[in-house]
Amino acid sequence: MVLDIPFSPPHRETETMKRLFLCFGLITLMAGLAMAVDAESPAGKCMTCHKEKSPGLYKQWFASNHGSAGVTCIDCHGAQKSESDAYLHEGAYIATLVTPKDCGACHAKESDQVQHSYHAHAGEILDSKDAYLAHAAGGHPVAIAGCESCHGSKILIDPDSPNKLDRLSWPNSGIGRLNPDGSKGSCTACHTRHSFDVAQARKPEACSKCHLGPDHPQKEIYEESKHGNAYFTNIDKMNLDSDRWVVGIDYYEAPTCATCHMSATSTQPVTHEVGERISWTLRPPVSKTKENWEIKRANMQDVCRACHGQGFIDGHYAQLDGLVNLYNEKFAKPAGKLHKIAKEKKLGDGVANFSNKYEWIYWEIWHHEGRRARHGAAMMGPDYTWWHGMYEVAQHFYFKYIPELRKFHDADLDKAIDEIMADEFHVWLNRPTGDIKADIKSGKMAAMYKDMYSGPLGQ
Amino acid sequence: MLHRFRLFLRGVSSTRIGTLGVALTTSSFLLLVFMLLMQSAGVMGNSYAGLLTFLVLPALFILGLLLIPIGWHQLKKRTGLTTDQLLRDTFSEELTQANILGSSLAMTIAGLTVINLLILGFGGGAILHHMDSPEFCGTTCHTVMNPEWVTYKSSPHAHVACVECHVGEGAGALIDAKLNGLRQMWLVTVGGYNRPIPTPVHTLRPARETCEKCHWPDKFYGDRIKTFARFDQDTTSTPHFSTLALKVGAGGQAGKIHWHVSEENEVRYQPRSDDRMQMDWVEVKRGDTFHRFENRRKLIGHSSTADHGEHAAEVRTMDCIDCHNRATHVYQTPEDVVDNLLAEGAIDAGMPWAKAAGLAALTITVPEGRNTEEAIGRALRGFYRRKDPEVLKRFISQFDVMTVELAKAYQRNVHPAMLVDWGNYPSHLGHRQGQAGCFRCHNSDMVDEAGESISSDCTLCHSILAFESPTPFRYLEPVQTAQPDSAMHVYLQAEFTGGVQ
Repeated sequence: MVLDIPFSPPHRETETMKRLFLCFGLITLMAGLAMAVDAESPAGKCMTCHKEKSPGLYKQWFASNHGSAGVTCIDCHGAQKSESDAYLHEGAYIATLVTPKDCGACHAKESDQVQHSYHAHAGEILDSKDAYLAHAAGGHPVAIAGCESCHGSKILIDPDSPNKLDRLSWPNSGIGRLNPDGSKGSCTACHTRHSFDVAQARKPEACSKCHLGPDHPQKEIYEESKHGNAYFTNIDKMNLDSDRWVVGIDYYEAPTCATCHMSATSTQPVTHEVGERISWTLRPPVSKTKENWEIKRANMQDVCRACHGQGFIDGHYAQLDGLVNLYNEKFAKPAGKLHKIAKEKKLGDGVANFSNKYEWIYWEIWHHEGRRARHGAAMMGPDYTWWHGMYEVAQHFYFKYIPELRKFHDADLDKAIDEIMADEFHVWLNRPTGDIKADIKSGKMAAMYKDMYSGPLGQ
Repeated sequence: MLHRFRLFLRGVSSTRIGTLGVALTTSSFLLLVFMLLMQSAGVMGNSYAGLLTFLVLPALFILGLLLIPIGWHQLKKRTGLTTDQLLRDTFSEELTQANILGSSLAMTIAGLTVINLLILGFGGGAILHHMDSPEFCGTTCHTVMNPEWVTYKSSPHAHVACVECHVGEGAGALIDAKLNGLRQMWLVTVGGYNRPIPTPVHTLRPARETCEKCHWPDKFYGDRIKTFARFDQDTTSTPHFSTLALKVGAGGQAGKIHWHVSEENEVRYQPRSDDRMQMDWVEVKRGDTFHRFENRRKLIGHSSTADHGEHAAEVRTMDCIDCHNRATHVYQTPEDVVDNLLAEGAIDAGMPWAKAAGLAALTITVPEGRNTEEAIGRALRGFYRRKDPEVLKRFISQFDVMTVELAKAYQRNVHPAMLVDWGNYPSHLGHRQGQAGCFRCHNSDMVDEAGESISSDCTLCHSILAFESPTPFRYLEPVQTAQPDSAMHVYLQAEFTGGVQ
């Protein structure tokens, strides 16, 4: 018996089905082909040559996280022909310069944070007094090899240079580098190429390349402090290579720069916004609090709490505020006032800024020893707070700055100086020693400063 | 007969000088015969005997012969007699009596002259034959030539006589060589030779003349596959292999290595200085013109041609010797020595720290007059005492073998008397790290007018089948996508095979 098949598709539907199957088949085939054939990355050619010609660089990359993740030469150095720093190299357009924008292709959050951070502004020093000194008193070469090497240069394009970069502005890994693509900064300032080792960025040495020296000795202060002591003693237990690096949980022996200023705590994520936890700005002649300083201070205190009790933390901040207020009120503001008068009256034989000795003395009082004192207090390096700090502030103020200003024999200036020397902070110079000692003993001297410990004054 | 000969001799010795001449001639002849007999019997075969036999004695013989007529001339001047009269006075009637062919005296002299000519003819040939022998070249001036002699003996051309490359063919070449030899004899005598002997040697015959006697650039070599093994300085001396498929080709094939020296082709260059490490420009024949690549880098190092003598400004046409500059006198680096010994199995790689120990031992300085094997042995012992003293107890025979092999290599390559140390004579074959070789011209600084540089593309002259890899043919194996260098693996495999496996 022949089975009657009740259903038979109409002729038109068969055609459509056929076409559908064909398309589907083709798509599958193409997908299959695409997956089967290994896409040949141009990086293969890069590696072949550079393994031989730049063996150190190649080996660093090979052993790095980028190497194991399959991030190759062309992923970072590949460039569009239209970019100003792009050039043809062995058949591919590349750029030697890799900017935060380039890194941001994968590391978007960090790139964004970096470009909005205070670090990114470091390159703008080119317009500041520092730059003026470097160019006028120093010279262009020192501006490049000195200042710009930490702060970042403005990258210049030289069409005749083999890598399109002007040799006066490259090499440079300054943290505030002004890149041709408009981005600011350089990730390699802290994350040294080509290893891009996170352990290296967590260590104090990453920061102390720039944060050291007479005007901001954070490196030296850290080394003096208990934090530094604990770190160097326990460096093997710091668990620096671990992926997650939360203070108190993944490590607990000591903090590094990264710990307090950037790294994750149990409540805060990692941030590349280095200003997020800073309440005071210790940079200017007279210290000021930052915008939203209470929140920022709270952020920082959260880090401290991983190891310290609140009483401990409150005490530290009281002491810090006391020192900064002392500096501000006793020396910074008065010195600034005198400097303003001298400048307005154009005192001194020199015409330009920094052509007179008093200007240099004032500069160093706030820019060098003044900063050392404040940083020393902030990071618990007492030697820097006192001997390299306030001691020198006081000495230079009394026995360099004032005498230099007195030389002008200017009536207004002399009057201002007299007023300052007569106020409660400075009158000691004219009092009998016995009286001063008695006041110190009795607590009367200390009483002058009693209001300085309750937070930032005069803000 | 003897009496007459003695009379003849007495007659010929006219004056003191003449007598001296006769004495020299006779004695050197007799001694020469004696020495030749000894030499052919194999009794006295060393280079000093050779010198004596083939240089000194013949020279004295000829000197003596020259002195005889000088003596006669003196006598003639002194006595004022004519030759005829003198002859009659000196010799007996019998001898001087005229005959059909000439007097007895004349016949004697003629006969002796013929004998002398024969002696000089054969002797000259023997002298030249002797001086053509490698032993003569290598051992006569043994201090100066020792580095070259020793390296030659262990080279691919050990069975090719020195003169075949260093002296060309033809009378002109021979005279050039002998004059040069005189200069060298003088320098050896007064100690005025350079230490070490500088290269390149400018008195060589053109490479095409010598090399092409046996080697023919138009021979098709195709691709040559070479594997290099490099061992790590760790406990197990882990090997890493680099394998190249060298695109040697044939002379007529463009884009192949031997194209550089083919007959139809011409590549010319101007080196910056005599060491030919940096180039001022390179030219290649394209059709009827030469296409030039200039070095865009300013002078680095050597300041002027004046520093390097008259040869610095010489434009050269590329020939065999520009790459195969160490075809025979092969000097190795310490790394090469130890790697080769390990790869051959001459040093047991199972011995802990074998590579590191080998390198440490080779880079010592053996004090003057000390036994090399002893010094190397001491260095090795010191190394193992520091690193792993157990090895000295467990690998005794391997240790001994290692000492011997390393000492041999050291003696081959280091020659303090000539101030030859590791690395004095680099080879330009390839581009080993630190030894520029190919990269002297193939670098991005050699640019033409259009700004294009001579290509230094890695796969231009060779495919790469392994590159410091764990196996010799790594890139012919399937790609491991997890490896960081998988892109390189894919690229190199595709380049060699034309596709990906």
